[in-house]
Amino acid sequence: MHTFKLAFFLLLLIGVSACKKKDNNNYEVIDTNTYGNNLDKDKSKSNIEFHSILRTNLFQRPSSINELSRIDRVMQSCGDKALINEVIISNYMNSANVKLPSRKMMTDSTERFIEETFIRFFIRRPTEAEKTWFSNFINANKSNPNFRPELVYTAFAASDEYMFY
Amino acid sequence: MKRREFVIKSATLAAGGMVLPYILPSGRLFARTNAPKADHVVLVIFGGGLRQQDSILQRYLADSQGYNVEGNILYNMLEGAAPASKIAYGLTPAGQTNGSQPIPRILSQSLQKQGTIFQEMRAISGGHYGGLNSLITGSRVQGQGLKVRPMNPTIFEYARRFGGFKATETWFIGNTISNSVPLLNSSKHPDFGLQYGANFFAPGITFGSDGYAALSNAKVYHPQEELEPVYKMKNFLDNTFNIKKGDMPGIRNTDDEKTQIKEFIANTFQRQASGLLPMPPVSGGDGSTIGYAAEVLRVFKPKLLVVNLSNIDGCHGNYTGYLQAMHRADHAMGFLWNYIQTQIPEMSGKTIMAFAPECGRNLQHNPIQDENDWYGYDHGDSNSLRVFGGMVGQNVPSNLLVGNETNPVGKVTDMALTIADILGFKDEVKAAGLIDFESMSLFDRI
Repeated sequence: MHTFKLAFFLLLLIGVSACKKKDNNNYEVIDTNTYGNNLDKDKSKSNIEFHSILRTNLFQRPSSINELSRIDRVMQSCGDKALINEVIISNYMNSANVKLPSRKMMTDSTERFIEETFIRFFIRRPTEAEKTWFSNFINANKSNPNFRPELVYTAFAASDEYMFY
Repeated sequence: MKRREFVIKSATLAAGGMVLPYILPSGRLFARTNAPKADHVVLVIFGGGLRQQDSILQRYLADSQGYNVEGNILYNMLEGAAPASKIAYGLTPAGQTNGSQPIPRILSQSLQKQGTIFQEMRAISGGHYGGLNSLITGSRVQGQGLKVRPMNPTIFEYARRFGGFKATETWFIGNTISNSVPLLNSSKHPDFGLQYGANFFAPGITFGSDGYAALSNAKVYHPQEELEPVYKMKNFLDNTFNIKKGDMPGIRNTDDEKTQIKEFIANTFQRQASGLLPMPPVSGGDGSTIGYAAEVLRVFKPKLLVVNLSNIDGCHGNYTGYLQAMHRADHAMGFLWNYIQTQIPEMSGKTIMAFAPECGRNLQHNPIQDENDWYGYDHGDSNSLRVFGGMVGQNVPSNLLVGNETNPVGKVTDMALTIADILGFKDEVKAAGLIDFESMSLFDRI
């Protein structure tokens, strides 16, 4: 009887110690897009690719092939591609349909504006150096009423990096 | 002075004396190897092929269509009486037969009287791209592919590298964006390339309906308040990205030059709308191309401008149209020379204009007949290597004819070296060793 009691006690002890409450840890991970450094762009966009992407970016709608073919012919008709791109970009900027962030957003949330602009044009986050430079530059130009997101977008759209993928 | 000090000072002075003359205010490393003959050069290329018999030899329909009618239809360029009958090379007034009204001459004295004509030269290639290429590069274009930039440096690159000229001082005005014409403003040669390329416009597109839709509504930004910050940001981004030289998609102007060209584009649309562009009296086609070339000359006063015409290539299927295009091209060229002399004081008397076809045309006609039942002519046989050329302006002997049918003198590849000679860097171009080894400056041919 004594042996039976001891065995029962041991079984009870094993059972109690084996039953453990499941540990349900929640680390509260936030979903985040990753972009990599994406600085090794080495393939030049064709004229049509460049303007198809840019127009979708600026107008938030795709372009017709007729528009893109026309732009392609104009690009071919000029020797300095960067220059003619700048003229075409400023033509886009003169359109009422172009979608740009507000000046307030640029000056009040400068860091966010910089980050979003880099991602929007270069599909990458800015480096710390880039973030600092642009932040300083935007702050330094706050008193210039002509300094607006349109100019920042123009610089990005006309940059060498935007011509590559 | 101690001996050691004396030796150091003498050596420094000697070294300075040797190096300083070569670092010129223009930024060039080397002094020009020959004295420039003129400050500016304009080269007009009759792209598309000009048949020797119908042009310089003035045989009109006699050597092409079996009619015994000879005469000169290029009377701004050449001396000689116009054809007396079968007039089909002129304009077409309402209700009259096609081409029955010749265009009045512009120049009181022909280019032949004013300058030097090489009556019988040789082309390198009877094909289009090869022909243009040989004129622009001065090379034999062996192994040159289509739809790729020239293998050898263009005259623009020589001019910019050896002449120290800015991008806005060298221009190529093309008549089209077809036939690889936009690729001729620079080669893909590793020692030259786009960094030395010329500015290029194909005005029919840039300032035509396509260009109007894409460019004419461009904002004109304030140079300091708006453009300066844009270029600061762009330059920062470009420095971060570091584009490789071989990856440059086009030539590069400085920020100041870009601003100048943007203003030119905006002003050209305005002047076009106001009818202020300097167009030849009879315009359209090649005439318009010449008009826009004149506008570039007026605004930029470049050191070198090359303009390509091509309407004459209609000869493949329309001989009458070819005669008319040839006559109009002569008219346009007369206009251009007159415009430079009378409307651009900075270039008047300081410019040499040279001209040559890229190739000739075949001896035998093809089977295609036009509305007058006249046969068309292609290009590619030995007759299409027969061409003429000429030049006029400062330091060019006047009223001089060089060579003839039995004594050919000069090659189309001479043009590049002639331009180098005019602008003062002939020896450097020769030393680069990338031109036709037989080519010479046309001045040396005289």
